[in-house]
Amino acid sequence: MSPPENPNGAGPAAPSDPAQPSQPQPPAKSKGKKKDEKKDDDLSEEDLALKEQLELYVVRAQDADPGVQKLALESMRNLAGEIAQEFQKRQDDDMPIDALMELVQQIVSFHMKHNAEPEAVDLLMEVEDLDLLVEHVDSTNYKRTCLYLTSSSRYLPAPDDMLALDIAYTIYMKFEDHTNALRIALLLDNKSMQYVKQVYTGTDDLSKKKQFSFMIARHGLPMEIDDDIATDDNDREILQELVNNTKLSEGYLTLARDIEVMEAKSPEDIYKVHLIDGRGASSSLDSARQNLAATFVNAFVNAGFGQDKLMTAPSDSSSSGASGNWLFKNKEHGKASAAASLGMILLWDTDSGLAQLDKYLHSNDAHVVAGALLGIGIVTCGVKNDCDPALAILMEYVNKDDTNIRIGAILGLGIAYAGSQKEELKTYLSTVLGDNQSTLEILIFSAISLGLVFVGSCNEEIAQSIILALMERSETDLAEPIIRLLPVALGLLYLGKQESVEATAEVSKTFDEKIRKYCDVTLMSLAYAGTGNVLKVQKLLGICSQHLEKGETHQGPAVLGIALIAMAEELGAEMAVRSLERLLQYGEQNIRRAVPLALGILCISNPKVNVMDTLSRLSHDADADVSMAAIISLGLIGAGTNNARIAGMLRNLSSYYYKEAAHLFCVRIAQGLVHLGKGLLTLSPYHSDRFLLSPMALGGLVTVLHACLDMKSTILGKYHYILYIIVLAMQPRMLLTVDEDLKPLPVPVRVGQAVDVVGQAGRPKTITGFQTHSTPVLLAAGERAELATEKYIPLSSVLEGFVILKKNPEYNE
Amino acid sequence: MPTVSVKWQKETFPGIEIDTSQPPTVFKTQLYTLTGVPPERQKIMVKGGILKDDADWSTLGVKEGQKLMMIGTADEIVKAPEKGPVFVEDLPEEEQAVALGHSAGLYNLGNTCYMNSTLQCLHSVPELKSALLSYSDNVRGNAVDQASHNLTVATRNTFGELDQSVRPVAPLLFLQTLRKKYPQFAQQQNNVYMQQDAEECWTQLVYTLSQTLTSETSEPLTGPMKELFGIDLVSRVHCAESGEESLERESVYSLKCHISHDVNHLHEGLKHGLKSELEKASPSLGRTALYTREYLTVQFVRFFWKRESNQKAKILRKVDYPLELDVYDFCSDELKQKLQAPRQMLRDVENAKFGLKTQAKASSSKENEGSSTDSSVPKKQLTGIYDLIAVLTHKGRSADSGHYVGWVKQDDGKWIEFDDDNPSIRKEEEILKLSGGGDWHMAYICLYKARVI
Repeated sequence: MSPPENPNGAGPAAPSDPAQPSQPQPPAKSKGKKKDEKKDDDLSEEDLALKEQLELYVVRAQDADPGVQKLALESMRNLAGEIAQEFQKRQDDDMPIDALMELVQQIVSFHMKHNAEPEAVDLLMEVEDLDLLVEHVDSTNYKRTCLYLTSSSRYLPAPDDMLALDIAYTIYMKFEDHTNALRIALLLDNKSMQYVKQVYTGTDDLSKKKQFSFMIARHGLPMEIDDDIATDDNDREILQELVNNTKLSEGYLTLARDIEVMEAKSPEDIYKVHLIDGRGASSSLDSARQNLAATFVNAFVNAGFGQDKLMTAPSDSSSSGASGNWLFKNKEHGKASAAASLGMILLWDTDSGLAQLDKYLHSNDAHVVAGALLGIGIVTCGVKNDCDPALAILMEYVNKDDTNIRIGAILGLGIAYAGSQKEELKTYLSTVLGDNQSTLEILIFSAISLGLVFVGSCNEEIAQSIILALMERSETDLAEPIIRLLPVALGLLYLGKQESVEATAEVSKTFDEKIRKYCDVTLMSLAYAGTGNVLKVQKLLGICSQHLEKGETHQGPAVLGIALIAMAEELGAEMAVRSLERLLQYGEQNIRRAVPLALGILCISNPKVNVMDTLSRLSHDADADVSMAAIISLGLIGAGTNNARIAGMLRNLSSYYYKEAAHLFCVRIAQGLVHLGKGLLTLSPYHSDRFLLSPMALGGLVTVLHACLDMKSTILGKYHYILYIIVLAMQPRMLLTVDEDLKPLPVPVRVGQAVDVVGQAGRPKTITGFQTHSTPVLLAAGERAELATEKYIPLSSVLEGFVILKKNPEYNE
Repeated sequence: MPTVSVKWQKETFPGIEIDTSQPPTVFKTQLYTLTGVPPERQKIMVKGGILKDDADWSTLGVKEGQKLMMIGTADEIVKAPEKGPVFVEDLPEEEQAVALGHSAGLYNLGNTCYMNSTLQCLHSVPELKSALLSYSDNVRGNAVDQASHNLTVATRNTFGELDQSVRPVAPLLFLQTLRKKYPQFAQQQNNVYMQQDAEECWTQLVYTLSQTLTSETSEPLTGPMKELFGIDLVSRVHCAESGEESLERESVYSLKCHISHDVNHLHEGLKHGLKSELEKASPSLGRTALYTREYLTVQFVRFFWKRESNQKAKILRKVDYPLELDVYDFCSDELKQKLQAPRQMLRDVENAKFGLKTQAKASSSKENEGSSTDSSVPKKQLTGIYDLIAVLTHKGRSADSGHYVGWVKQDDGKWIEFDDDNPSIRKEEEILKLSGGGDWHMAYICLYKARVI
């Protein structure tokens, strides 16, 4: 495939020696001439002209006069453009392109030698031959090349982007930059397993493998460490544990202890009523709605800490003490959420979590049992265990008689095994789905659970059973507001899988009129979620511009879809914020209701001031649905940030809406979200320098958002436990450095605003306005960390989550 | 017999032998001795789910050195408390109102905010409420006409509804009877009922109530309304030329605060209103002193009749008013003396609060003697100090247009703005900002309640 080796050697050989400007000139020229003569026959006149130009430029580029040099380099760029055009033309006319490719070779190698990697990559993309790149990169420029490749891949059309990433992966592997290769492997999800294994087998260093395992665990890829990866039994066990994410709880608590936020917080500490004038403790009576809100706030705020002031408090000695009391301060299904909140409090700590939830399983109150089952699911969310205790326990309850218990078990399974694609669950839950006896709610929750477990799997079988369930629904069922979660479940199967959805989307066109459009829009928006596909955004905007008459509801998911698709990259997200602003002004009520939620997902855990102001304005909107959505979204954009401004806004809202129970509930939930994990957690589904998207996290967020499109019948009704699905997106926003034995190792790091260094020459600063801290540290949205010491070398290129540090052998005090 | 290790919570028990010939219950008993978890509550994870009591070890394929996991606690099972909590949502409506902390709003029935705000302000007077409650439907005093009677009954009923409801009340009946009794409130313009002056409404209503609410024995002039709202003015008429002096007594239900160029504060306005040196023919009106009761109504004379435009124009001047009004300066000398003792006591109490006990002790013992001699005074003694409890404000440029709103202090110290059917919580600072000087709501009528000791 690559015959022109000579020019390759000749071209760059000369310019690489700029120290001797005059001498290498003649040989380079003569060499090139020789070949010219040789190939003159098969070169057209045009080619010849191009070639001559190129040679002239190459010579000039080495001129002693810097002015001439500059000019030559600029002209070279022009030439590259001309070649690209010529290439297009020739391809259209089916003309031979070999001669052009030869020129390309020369230009590329010239560019690569001269810090102009972006130009080289651009040219190769134009002539559709990125493979050439692999030969031209060297250890000095591969990082910049790959960075340019990966970041431009976001803007490339479908097959090209994968190709670019593939090349980047190959280059990283070539230079043994395994962690970066792994990041790309995780992004290329259809080839993930194969590439991930290659990455593992590419090194013998156990510490590196541990680092890989940490990264895989963060991404949530279900994986089994086999003999190929680690031959030693002990090593395998350690790696498997890391992949199973069993260290997460420990690391998170280390962070919490270091930042000194271990002390449990009560909902009152969050509400801060004393800062609101004019209203003291209003009533001595318990309000079920307010207690439920307190349950959620307590769960969100103390998530993962293992202790709180309502559920775990001093109850351990006498179990019917405080926890029992709080549990029964909730009404009916509220008790389910209260019991499940224990799971949230003990998040990731399966050992004590399961033990503490166990006693609730023996309760004679069905709601409590249901909550405990859901809690078991929440505790094991994102943490796997070889014994699969969650599966074993929950399975026992899936076929019980009580509807609430069944829902608890089913939803618990969905949360515990999200993204795991467990075969057992497929069979179990599909049977529930296919059972004619199942009530609508059970049906919907099993569909959602299946969607979460098989998120992005494109599993046809499950798609079929959900479609079937949808088709068999009666008119009255289709009028239920909660039915909207069925299309979401279907969409989850194709989350981010683009064209793969088309067959299913085609089938959905045969659905009942009531749900058809809703289903269509939902499927499209989920399939393209996180892709940044501009065409789909336009299409969805088109849908939003229609004026509906028959009270159709599919514009809500369309608005959410815009955000879901555009959230992939910064520029698109900013444009989407502006488009949404438009929709707010000119859109109809059902569109306006979805806009705050769309803003919420666009800036999730990233409180941008302009978005915050818009939402604050909307939170006083005359339309109750708009204002409630805006309030929840204020919580979403501030989730886990402890943002003082949002906290203040919410406090004011709590006194403004003190009489509207529904609004107040939303305000409380938002307050809980803002202080999520006392500010140590994030809901952002993006990680690893905003490069990777965790499908489970996105799936969880999408489900909650769709439920929020009709709050009155979901989270304000009896399905408030849907809110717990958000646990799928909860991750510590930390940097925890450990030594090779995985013991925490405090080192100084610089944390600052990330700078976009794509396409910049040399080794530009990657952060700005930084402060130096000692690990573990928190990373806010858009922040990046770098090591402030030479003593250690991080095994991961991106400093996020768990990072293993190795002693720098070249370091001396 | 394979040996396994069992993980329970954070502990691991290594080297437990399983007797595969025995049923799993035997194994569970083994674990019971180790962990204290009763067998029926043990959940042991094996392949394919939880270990059942009747399972066969051979089919489970337990291998040597395998790690099993056991879940279960010996903790007591949670039980619902015998007496569950009572939730606000389950309560009947009246009790919800109590929990809410303030009474309901009133619907605007078409330019009736003047009436709504008046009702809300008067509603804040508990003594009035109790007086109304004792007013019976059918017994009508001789001096009372039917319309007044009906109005009183309507007032009573409206107040009752306000107390019991969480949702806004529509005072339809009250409006009808009010218009019947005082037809000027039924004035129409372009077939729409006109906005009216709230002060007029207030005055008329108080007057009517004072007529109807009489204790059985006494005449109207000493009825409960007078006890509550009455203010006695004693005017000393002094003729500058002859040096003649005479005293005139009159009784009013509100004090006027006249607003002129040099009035910046309620105090000055009141003084101004009382002095009013009207140079009539010969006798000039001298200093007026007053005798006040439990409630003190102050009306800001914000409107004057502008002849050229034929309407009531409004004075927008900012006049500050205090949350705590001391009328000692205005009192008649006789009253001043009466007030001395209670005021001293009040001061003592306040001093005591600030820890100035020593000084207080000496003086209070002396004063106690003084007050005990004054046996005619009932237990509650006026101090001449009044606290603001309700404000009726007006927004707009003339009395017959704009918007009236009532601001009422609650028992727990918070303020509620009753904007027709929409009550909302306000801060104390916001109440003081209603002093005028702009186009925002400004105080029109202030209702003060005496601080007693």
